[in-house]
Amino acid sequence: MTLTGYRIRVVRRATLPAWEAALFSLLALVVGLFLFGFVFIFADASPQQAYREIFRYAFFNPNGLRLSLSRFIFLTLCTYAFIVPLRAGEWNIGMTGQLYIGALTGYGVVYLFGGKTSPNVPLSPWVVLPLMIGASMLGGALWGGIAGWLKGRWDVNEIVVTMMLNFIAFWIVSHTIKDGGIFMNPGGRGEGFTLPTSLRAPLIGGVPFTILLVLGLAFGIDLLFRRTSLGYQIRAVGLGPKAARYAGVNVPRISLVVFLLGGAIAGLAAYHYFAAVPGVYKIARDYNTIGDLAFFGIICGLIAQGNALATLPVALLFGGLSIGGRFAQGKLHLGFGVDYALMGVLMIILVAFQFFYRYRLIVDRA
Amino acid sequence: MLAFFLRSLEAAMIFTFAGVGELVDQRGGVLNVGVEGIMLFGATLGFIVTKTTGSYTLGFVVGVLVGALLGLLHAFFSVTLRVDQVVSGMGIWIFGFGITTYIGSAYTGPLGLERLPTIGGLSPFFFVAVALVGVVWFVLDKTSWGLAVRSVGEAPDVADVSGISVTRIRYACTIFGGALAGFAGALYALYYNPVWNYNFLMGWGFIALALVFFSMWNPILLLGGAILFGTLWQLSLNPELLLPGLFSRYIWRTVPFIVTILVLVLISTDWFRSRWGGARPQALGEPYVKE
Repeated sequence: MTLTGYRIRVVRRATLPAWEAALFSLLALVVGLFLFGFVFIFADASPQQAYREIFRYAFFNPNGLRLSLSRFIFLTLCTYAFIVPLRAGEWNIGMTGQLYIGALTGYGVVYLFGGKTSPNVPLSPWVVLPLMIGASMLGGALWGGIAGWLKGRWDVNEIVVTMMLNFIAFWIVSHTIKDGGIFMNPGGRGEGFTLPTSLRAPLIGGVPFTILLVLGLAFGIDLLFRRTSLGYQIRAVGLGPKAARYAGVNVPRISLVVFLLGGAIAGLAAYHYFAAVPGVYKIARDYNTIGDLAFFGIICGLIAQGNALATLPVALLFGGLSIGGRFAQGKLHLGFGVDYALMGVLMIILVAFQFFYRYRLIVDRA
Repeated sequence: MLAFFLRSLEAAMIFTFAGVGELVDQRGGVLNVGVEGIMLFGATLGFIVTKTTGSYTLGFVVGVLVGALLGLLHAFFSVTLRVDQVVSGMGIWIFGFGITTYIGSAYTGPLGLERLPTIGGLSPFFFVAVALVGVVWFVLDKTSWGLAVRSVGEAPDVADVSGISVTRIRYACTIFGGALAGFAGALYALYYNPVWNYNFLMGWGFIALALVFFSMWNPILLLGGAILFGTLWQLSLNPELLLPGLFSRYIWRTVPFIVTILVLVLISTDWFRSRWGGARPQALGEPYVKE
């Protein structure tokens, strides 16, 4: 294409330097947030004022900051559940379902210890909490593992399968917490029973201790991909399953492993959100609205380009935007779901920016 | 029982519209995993327009237009910008889910209009869907247009050399697929389930996508699959017709999703692939780069 004497060519990139990749991600974010400003304009609010309110509440109000950090933990885990399979070229959009099953298995442990009978049952957190976390991770892993196994064994499309598993898990939760299901709150309001006070997760400055697990995982996943043979095999499958097979990688096993890992991390996210965040402590009636927020993990993962450490700042920003957005929603009289709209706008901008990761524009004199 | 069967056919009609659109799209070599997002857009905007203006016609027109526009967007991303088609489709789905949740929530509740007329208890669009299946089958299999679409989906380099514009065909197929998905969404929200609710499409777009794989890219088999899934869906809503009291009503709701997975597994087995697997468009999902 030529334009006033200049020639514009599109050239496929052979490699993309890390700093350039980071720059494009940053640019995508800025453009996305700019365009999202129109949502505020349509709602008769000034974008500057809206963003100021959002950031002030999310990061400078002590209450808001605690919520943002809790949301940050949740989003980071959802992102890790997405990026581990993504590095093998496989799409786990089943974080939601793995989250639901993880919540059920985690609360299953509480149930077995008799925690449903009353919120005041004295139970030992030293015994029950590790079991809860383990059960949540195991439940998530098994649910994710279904998709991974099917993908590895018969190359069944993992996008459709994980989405179907999301809906199956959604209804299983309803079955369990509504209409006299075994986890139904004795109060009978169609929600899960309340976690006994004795099992509330320890807090660090008002933030659940799961933040330490998240930071540990960040370095763990980073090391996994940079230093270990398993990480190498996962990346090899991501670059091309055929070549990986010739290099001696057991591709079906890797498919299973990445989904088990991703599912386990989603299960941990379930423990965090449904049993560790102050003010929740149960599988609430509107559990699907939090479950669907897990899709933010896809966006974080794509912006961070599958990098576990780069995920941290991105998830922190989104956690703050999501919490601040809910706050601004009330204050500026916006409709429900500002954070979902933000998710949508960012996602589509991000897709457009994918172009720059793969191609380069060269402008010179014709 | 008759009412149950008619409702099943109407569910099938919606799967058919969305599925046939996606099928044409894929026969041209473009995979759009964002059908659910396009349907959500068609459903939500169609619902809002009809609710505010009182005109069904306008609602359907808006549904088709927004669907075509999203199809155009997907074509722009995946054909022109050569973005990974799965990434683009996922983007369209999340875009649809996020935006429609926000703009639709103010309209939560029933449409509150007189229902559209029926012919023999069925929506007239059911007959349109059946006719569409016939027309698409005929065009794809028996006409030179169909040949052009198929060749672009199978071997775009060969098609290009023989003078067919790969870009133009792929744009046309993707826009057509988007328009039908948007229409299917509008039909869902304006006729089948005229009550707006958070994420009320419940995965129908993803089921339609699975139906295309299941149909082996044959519109007539797609119609059969759509009727099967329409019936399953209705059965999951009214389990007492078949096995009263066996499971809770929530567990019944999982059945169509479980069956979707089972069907996908079946068609992915070596046994199945070695017999009928040749139908998959060879260039599906791959951007075409002129050498």
